[in-house]
Amino acid sequence: MSNNNDRTAADSTLGNLSGWPHSQYRKRKLDVAFTGSGSEYFRIWIVNLLLSLVTLGLYLPFAKARRLSYFYSNTLIDGQALGFHGDPWKMLRGFLLLAVLTLAYGFAARFSPLSAMAAFALLCGLWPALWRAGLQFRLANTSWRGLRLGFTGSSAGAYAALLPLYVPALLMVAGQFLFAPERPDPRAPLPPLLGLSMAASLLLMLFMLPWGVARIKRYQHGGYVYADQQTVLTVPTRRFYGLGLKALLLTLLPLALLGALAAIVVAVYKPLLFWMMMALPLAYLLYFALITPYVSARLQNLVWNGTASELLQLQSDLPARPLAWLTLKNWLLTALTLGLYRPFAAVHTARMRLQAMSLMVEGDLDGWVARQSVAQDDAAGDAAGDFFGIDMGL
Amino acid sequence: MAPRLQLEYFDGRSARPQRAEIQLQDGQLQLACGLQHHQYPLGSVRWPERQRHGQRQALLPDGGVLSCADAARWDDWARASGLRDSLTVRWMQNWRLVGTALALLLAVLLLAWRWGLPPATEAALRWLPPALDQQIGGQALAQLESHWLRPSQLPPAEQDALRQRFAALVAQAHPPGQAPAYQLHFRAASAALGSNAFALPGGAVVLTDALVQLMRDRPEAVLGVLAHELGHLRQRHGLRLAVQASLVSAAAGLVVGDFSALLAGVPALLTQQAYSRDFEREADAEARRCLLAAGISPRVMLDFFERLAQQRQHAASLPIAFSSHPADTERKRFFSEPP
Repeated sequence: MSNNNDRTAADSTLGNLSGWPHSQYRKRKLDVAFTGSGSEYFRIWIVNLLLSLVTLGLYLPFAKARRLSYFYSNTLIDGQALGFHGDPWKMLRGFLLLAVLTLAYGFAARFSPLSAMAAFALLCGLWPALWRAGLQFRLANTSWRGLRLGFTGSSAGAYAALLPLYVPALLMVAGQFLFAPERPDPRAPLPPLLGLSMAASLLLMLFMLPWGVARIKRYQHGGYVYADQQTVLTVPTRRFYGLGLKALLLTLLPLALLGALAAIVVAVYKPLLFWMMMALPLAYLLYFALITPYVSARLQNLVWNGTASELLQLQSDLPARPLAWLTLKNWLLTALTLGLYRPFAAVHTARMRLQAMSLMVEGDLDGWVARQSVAQDDAAGDAAGDFFGIDMGL
Repeated sequence: MAPRLQLEYFDGRSARPQRAEIQLQDGQLQLACGLQHHQYPLGSVRWPERQRHGQRQALLPDGGVLSCADAARWDDWARASGLRDSLTVRWMQNWRLVGTALALLLAVLLLAWRWGLPPATEAALRWLPPALDQQIGGQALAQLESHWLRPSQLPPAEQDALRQRFAALVAQAHPPGQAPAYQLHFRAASAALGSNAFALPGGAVVLTDALVQLMRDRPEAVLGVLAHELGHLRQRHGLRLAVQASLVSAAAGLVVGDFSALLAGVPALLTQQAYSRDFEREADAEARRCLLAAGISPRVMLDFFERLAQQRQHAASLPIAFSSHPADTERKRFFSEPP
């Protein structure tokens, strides 16, 4: 059996597929295109903002539904757009729930610091469940070619995924509680135990951060389903540590340079130091505008290139430097236009991020069918997520 | 005969696109796909909003999706079938209406800033317990004392005299039991603060030695300054400024917050300056009222402003500090007016 024969035989069964065949196996590359335009989104954004302000925020879920609809219907995977099915009235319920929780927290804070801490602890305890509910709602209400996506991560999994990041934070709070003096005197030096516990928790947080991010991404990307495909993240944790190390170096390097520069300036011309201090906030902003998108692009590539299911392989090829420059440009223009550039910035960023993605699919998509709804182990969580339409973030 | 449109239909059970035909009839969307016939009430279908690029996609209540790659064909069919966009969508499609929306937005923001923010701040302040004032003020005073303030060098007799005179003034100016609580502190300050006085949340009023020495021959002016600071305390200006800044940040966060929390903080900084001036006027009004109630002419303050203007070189710009206010002419006019 020659390869040529195989390919011809395979092609004839594929029907009229678009795209190009990737290899002798029946794999096909699906491109992602984003057709949104900044001026078009600007109009949506302005009216959304006006209605949100006039209704004191009650219009926000409807505004979000419209925004998601716009971005989804302009995201074309292999020429077919995504569909957003979320019911804005359900999202309003979720929004009111979160508002009530926030108000309750503020109300508790009024009584005493202890009740504030109790309310904060309660919120921390609820957060993983709310996060999972949000993921479920968003994905179950996303469709492509008529079939819905889904999220199959469990509640227990959500808590387990967020645990590594909670532990150092809790240690820091415990340290404050145990070692902080009753009445802080700014003139006295920091009590050694308190300083030690804070330093230890910070270092622990730093060390556990890449692992924590790995766990979160593994939980998220291990729960996406489409048709009967379930994805899984196969990136080893050491790659996250590699990225974390790079991010740390990128943070420390400018700081070291700044320190060296300051030392030189002090030695040469002292009054210039004052102007350097004035420029510090600017440097801080610049850092955020350039380094954060760089790290974010690398992270996007890392996690999406490692996400695959049986017949689907996702890919991300986002170049970091163009994203960094785009982010800087967006910041400057948004600041100059007092925020009016925001919708244009959102569209340009979405285009760069989305068009870097692609999918490799094996076989004929037309044959894929919707999965049977699997009975999940915590129906209460699902029901709550569905009833309240919780959709946080983004 | 209602116009028909041919497009692709995904039935929600398989990913295969099927050829289908739709038409509107009797308030229902009729869908013909192969040998199957479906109908859906118009209101239950999520119709696409017109956009320049991309497809038109209609979402059916049973999970099916109608997809038309040629937007122009869909628009023609929709118009011919009598489908109209919702009011909000029509507003978003029209640039003139969007311009109106932008103008309305700016108007709403301006009105909110001018007339919405003060009552909102008042409501928020009522929620904050007085214990919070004292906590914040206490910490602020501790901070200031560690770097900027030293114990006073004034003779105790002079301090006591001023204390008693001010206590008498406060008692005269307020109905019994309504006088705000305060603690008067005399401190020697660095040259940066100079002749100054300020009030901290919780009741601490700090008076620098330099100011007392400046007006040694006119102690009534010092009383006026103290009454001004008391005005700040009475209105909880320190905390009010903080609350207002947070509310402005929250509103700014709505506009650009999901993009950058840092940019959202800038408007708060800018509006703070504007509000401080209003608070200064309120405090000046309070000072004048107290002086008049004690039988002292408000004109004693004019001397003070003049001497201060001569001295002002490196005054710090604490927002509730006395010697950092602009528009001296306005203040002089205010204090020289007949009541």
